[in-house]
Amino acid sequence: MALLEIKDLHASVAGKPILKGINLTINFGEVHAIMGPNGSGKSTLSNVLAGNEAYEKTAGEVLFAEQNLDDLAAHERACAGMFLAFQYPVEIPGISNMYFLKAAVNAVRAYQGREQLDAMEFLDFVETRKKVVKIRDDLLERAVNSGFSGGEKKRNEIFQMAMLEPKLGILDETDSGLDIDALRIVADGVNALRSPERGFLVITHYQRLLNYIEPDFVHVLVHGQIVKSGGKELALELESEGYASWSGEEGP
Amino acid sequence: MEHMELRKKAEDRFITVGFPTTKEELWRFTDVSPVASAEFSGEWKPSSLAFECMDTICLVFENGRLSMERSCVLGLPAGVRIGSVMDCADARIGRLADSQSAFVAANTAYFGDGTFIGIADGVELDTPVHIVYLADAPGMVCHVRNFISCGKNAKVTVVEEYIGPSSPVGHPYWTNAVTEVFVDDGGRADHYKIQREAPDAFHFQTLEAHIGANAAFSNHAVAVGGALGRNDIRGKLAGQGGEAICNGLYLLKERQHFDTHMFMDHAVSDCNSHELYKGILDDKARGVFCGRILVRQDAQRTDAIQSNKNLLLSRSAKVNSLPQLEIYADDVKCTHGATVGQLDEQALYYLQTRGIDPVQGHAMLTFAFANEVLDEVQCGPAREYIGNLVQAWLNEVAG
Ligand SMILES: Nc1ncnc2c1ncn2[C@@H]1O[C@H](COP(=O)(O)OP(=O)(O)OP(=O)(O)O)[C@@H](O)[C@H]1O
Ligand SMILES: [Mg+2]
Repeated sequence: MALLEIKDLHASVAGKPILKGINLTINFGEVHAIMGPNGSGKSTLSNVLAGNEAYEKTAGEVLFAEQNLDDLAAHERACAGMFLAFQYPVEIPGISNMYFLKAAVNAVRAYQGREQLDAMEFLDFVETRKKVVKIRDDLLERAVNSGFSGGEKKRNEIFQMAMLEPKLGILDETDSGLDIDALRIVADGVNALRSPERGFLVITHYQRLLNYIEPDFVHVLVHGQIVKSGGKELALELESEGYASWSGEEGP
Repeated sequence: MEHMELRKKAEDRFITVGFPTTKEELWRFTDVSPVASAEFSGEWKPSSLAFECMDTICLVFENGRLSMERSCVLGLPAGVRIGSVMDCADARIGRLADSQSAFVAANTAYFGDGTFIGIADGVELDTPVHIVYLADAPGMVCHVRNFISCGKNAKVTVVEEYIGPSSPVGHPYWTNAVTEVFVDDGGRADHYKIQREAPDAFHFQTLEAHIGANAAFSNHAVAVGGALGRNDIRGKLAGQGGEAICNGLYLLKERQHFDTHMFMDHAVSDCNSHELYKGILDDKARGVFCGRILVRQDAQRTDAIQSNKNLLLSRSAKVNSLPQLEIYADDVKCTHGATVGQLDEQALYYLQTRGIDPVQGHAMLTFAFANEVLDEVQCGPAREYIGNLVQAWLNEVAG
């Protein structure tokens, strides 16, 4: 059984076709990287997978651990083990990060038929997860992402992922905005979560992240299609040559 | 009887001026004809309402009349006087609340009871004073009058709460309250007002605060009850270094109409005033917020911030928001703003991607919207009490 199977996926935003036939299979235990020029549809793909209703799937099929994604609303996808680390995490004033995390963890547990964590158990769990992804206590007390720096938001995303322990982690440009030390911490966190029961889809513009999180496969997304796939050496190639050979083939 | 002349004059004025109409600028959005045309011939009766007493000094009124049996004002520290306003001979009663408003005039003319709190200079009363007005007598008018005097460098916390039954009383009653607060130099008075009258009740209150030099006054007004109501909140920063915080939250549903008129008078230099008002409106509810900040010519280095934010849970709910700045000094820092909107779809989606279903997400975001005001409540018992009230309201709206 594959973790994620994307077959000929087409999707539009605001009536405009963005994804034009994506095919991609991720097996359990694998890390796939997607690279591609600005506006090529990388965030669109992650939003379609996560179930954002502003994005309309117009054709194709996506199976997540053999379940058809069409049957699952966004929160059910999350509960079934999909996690999207946002390129632009949303600020939610008025809800503390801790309160939010507890609600999320318990919502996922409820869906999976597991017992709710009480306040004490939750705090213990937070402590164990802080060992995987370091995060300052004051960020946990503050309102979700509110007034967080760009890097702090990204780190908070990865901390949430460590708390929710998904089957599939989609990281949309988690590296942009991170300083060198933070990049290291985030990458170590992701590596610590790598396991045969889990897969990752890592969207990035930079080869540097892939030095830390070594992908099994690299795909190049241009104009809503995967135009090339290869091993991790493909990222190095792109770093030196750019996307020039693909862009211009087809107007956006 | 003291204040005879004051009362007579007020009655004359009420009779000649009568109730305001929507032709008057200050009453443009609030039609009080349901009050003006109603007949209030209800008889006094003891109240059968129960309430949750905060762990505080407590003064309980039943349909406008003080009930010593239900109150708890024993063992007050020296320099603290708490009791019926009818026993208070302070010559300053009526000095603040002498505006042209018909509601104030009627109150001054006819008030039959209310609360007096006097804190002597230098005395800090740490225990909050909870004043509870229970109302459930059909067709009654309760003109209640409160007078709070916080001496120099003194401190007091007052929670004024108006409670009615959770279902209509049939023949609406009318609460018409006036509260006057003097905060002398260096004093601190924190005032909370919770309005949860019966769903068909009329509730009007004018709060007047006079804030001395280096004194601090805060007011947090929460309104969830009544069919038709209004708070007039008027503060005067009369001494340098004074500070006023006036925050509020109105949670309205069905056909409720609630109006807040705020007036902050910066009469002298170096004062701060901050106002944060938030409204959550469902069904066909209507909210009015009018906040006027006056910065007089001498009021240099004034720091005034006002904001009014509204969340509409239904398409037929409506808000009129009119923040106004009137500035005659040149060295000031003043900002104001108003928003009316729906829940943030992006935030709802974000919660969903973390496993939280839309119903729970909706409730969390709505509470978060109100939370900004709750966060500002310094008094622990009041914050918890108001927080529960807000949560209960939200559950009702969601259910
Ligand atoms: N909500 C929207 N409304 C209109 N157009 C949109 C919307 N979201 C995305 N688009 C458009 O879809 C195209 C693909 O955007 P997407 O965000 O998927 O690109 P990306 O590959 O993630 O780019 P980047 O590397 O800059 O993050 C862009 O042209 C973008 O302007
Ligand atoms: Mg993107």
